[in-house]
Amino acid sequence: MLHAQRARFAYYLILPALLLITCLNLVPIVEAIVVSLQSQNMIRPDPEAFVGVQHYIQALAPDGDFRSSLALTLIWTAGSVAGGYLLGLGLALLLNLAMRARGVFRALLLIPWVIPDVAVAMVWKWLYADQFGVFNFLLLKFGLVSRPVQWLADPWMAMASVIFVQIWKLYPVMFIVLLAALQNVAKELHEAAMIDGANAWQRFVNVTFPVIRPTSLVITLLASIWTFQAFDIVYLLTGGGPAGATQILPTLIYQKAFWASQIGYASALGILLMVCLLVISVFYLLAYRHQASAQGAT
Amino acid sequence: MSHPLVMGRRESLILGIGGLFALSAGKANAQGEINLTFWSVRLNTPELQAALKPILRQFEAEHPGIKITNEPVSGNLVYPKFMAAVQGQKMPDIAEAFSYHPLQFAALGQMEPMDDIIEEWKANGLLADIFNEFAYKKFYWKGHYWGVPYNLDPRAIYYRKDLLAAKGIAPPNNWDDFQKAVIATHDPKNGVYGVVFPAGNFFTTQHIYMGFMFQAGGSILDKDNNLVFGTKAKDANVRALVYLTDFVTKHKVTPEGIASYDAPDVETVFVQGRAAFGMGRAALIGQLMSQNPDMVDNVGVLETLQGPEAKLTAGFYNPMFVWKYSPHVDAAKTFVRWFVNPTRMDPIYRAVPGQHWPIFKSAVNSPRVQQNRLLREMLQNVVPYTTDFAYPGTGIPQMGAIDGEKMFAAPVNEVVVGKKTPEQAVLDAQASMAKLFQS
Repeated sequence: MLHAQRARFAYYLILPALLLITCLNLVPIVEAIVVSLQSQNMIRPDPEAFVGVQHYIQALAPDGDFRSSLALTLIWTAGSVAGGYLLGLGLALLLNLAMRARGVFRALLLIPWVIPDVAVAMVWKWLYADQFGVFNFLLLKFGLVSRPVQWLADPWMAMASVIFVQIWKLYPVMFIVLLAALQNVAKELHEAAMIDGANAWQRFVNVTFPVIRPTSLVITLLASIWTFQAFDIVYLLTGGGPAGATQILPTLIYQKAFWASQIGYASALGILLMVCLLVISVFYLLAYRHQASAQGAT
Repeated sequence: MSHPLVMGRRESLILGIGGLFALSAGKANAQGEINLTFWSVRLNTPELQAALKPILRQFEAEHPGIKITNEPVSGNLVYPKFMAAVQGQKMPDIAEAFSYHPLQFAALGQMEPMDDIIEEWKANGLLADIFNEFAYKKFYWKGHYWGVPYNLDPRAIYYRKDLLAAKGIAPPNNWDDFQKAVIATHDPKNGVYGVVFPAGNFFTTQHIYMGFMFQAGGSILDKDNNLVFGTKAKDANVRALVYLTDFVTKHKVTPEGIASYDAPDVETVFVQGRAAFGMGRAALIGQLMSQNPDMVDNVGVLETLQGPEAKLTAGFYNPMFVWKYSPHVDAAKTFVRWFVNPTRMDPIYRAVPGQHWPIFKSAVNSPRVQQNRLLREMLQNVVPYTTDFAYPGTGIPQMGAIDGEKMFAAPVNEVVVGKKTPEQAVLDAQASMAKLFQS
């Protein structure tokens, strides 16, 4: 009885915050759904004209923007997260070893994470510049290329270039989380494996990775959610070009909403983006639950 | 019972809330002073803001009872900010912004017609002093003028006098000669490209294409505001696209990375002395003067090219407009009348040479222009031939979206990277534009 009363009191206490958070999340989503069913743009005198699911049909049509942009978004997300994970894991393994100035290196590796995205994009744009960029200057100076590399002007290279920047931005968080996970790997297990004759790769696959796998899953899913909706770096580096080669969903939505004035259509694209993110979020929640129950079991 | 002179918490709260209401409820204060909000999109840099402030104070001194509160608005945030303002019915009393904003806001029923100011200008001769009639006709839609022009933002071709002289070439003034001059001055061994222009998916790219489009006899709209980009005007528009992109794909006389170039990239290459010809914004003049003054004497502003059909180039007459629901429409119009004056904005023109241009012919004779050769060349060789991108139409709200979504930058960018043929690129752009007219 006393327990039930205390529980009810606790619910009363969190109710205002719960209501506020619900409103802050739900109201914009509901508003976006409503707008996506309207013909809202800045060239129409009747902005609230109901058009049903016309915008969704337009977006999902074979020649619509959504499919091609989704494909690019998946490439961007997969490339960035995979690259960020591998780099973060490699650095975490390295800095998990006993070495001098380990703390300094750990702190230095976090720098990309704390730099604002806009500053990151501006710096990398300069690094990538074809005529006066640092990369091309060095490559030409050391005779590694005979002509400037078109980092941002070639459609294939542009996607690789923006992914590389996102990897640079993403790896610190991967690194720090994986480093924490690696510190949970018991030394005794490694010692036992070494006595059994396991080499470094076998010890990693059979001893280290099983321990960090749940953490890896959670952090890669989280990074996927962040990257899937990331906007600044691609927009500032390429603006979605050249020839639409880096037109990921967030930049497409921005373009349609704020420059093409197609607010209704952009809202429909935003809802479709949200559905994609929900799918990733479901995987994240399942992984998180699995990890929590595994930890509870141990 | 509380003491009559001592306020309790409740009284203090009521007084405080009342005070907040009083501060936020109206824009006219107790002395009857009118406060006008003025959003500036193109006058938003620190230099321009510094030049604008004394002008606004001068207006206030000459018009006791009217105060102007200027809010600079970032060009990148212009749509979100205005859209939020429309939704919340908190539009500024006055604004200056991009070309087709007044028509878009007029379509939403938010704009005050400016017909009375145009009539006044017609009567006092100011209208006849404007360089190009499309400067104000572009704001004419459904029987009203929804904005008035206040500045000009031209696009031009710059050339290196020394490089042309070394080859014995006179500054070209038509398509054939220009092509020959660009090819002849291309000197990659000495790090000089024949020409540099923006070919990325950016606004300036379509502005450059637009100039060649008009010269080829092409356009986006016809004189009745019908979309003809990929229909009646297709052949001319394809011809212009081929002419422009051939510099990259056929003659190979541009920097290799041009497909990612925006105006600042072009300006950097040209100002660093790495190109014989450079196409871009008039702001390049200011950059040249500040960043590489030694090169100024070797640079000229090319006379607008005579194309196969016309001698025209792109220039954007930017508008000032007034919110229909402003509580002080008359005062707002008083400010617009006072501000758009042949001499008023001289401090702005001086603040960043080349970034803002007067719309009046009489400005050519100002000491500021006469003392600066590049400004003079721009005003004589380019400005009289500028026209806006609705030419030969007058303008429709859809033009804002066509420009905003960079629908005619895409063909240049797609052809340069080899994704489409010029004809296909023009047809695809037409299809995208047509959707705006259907929706």
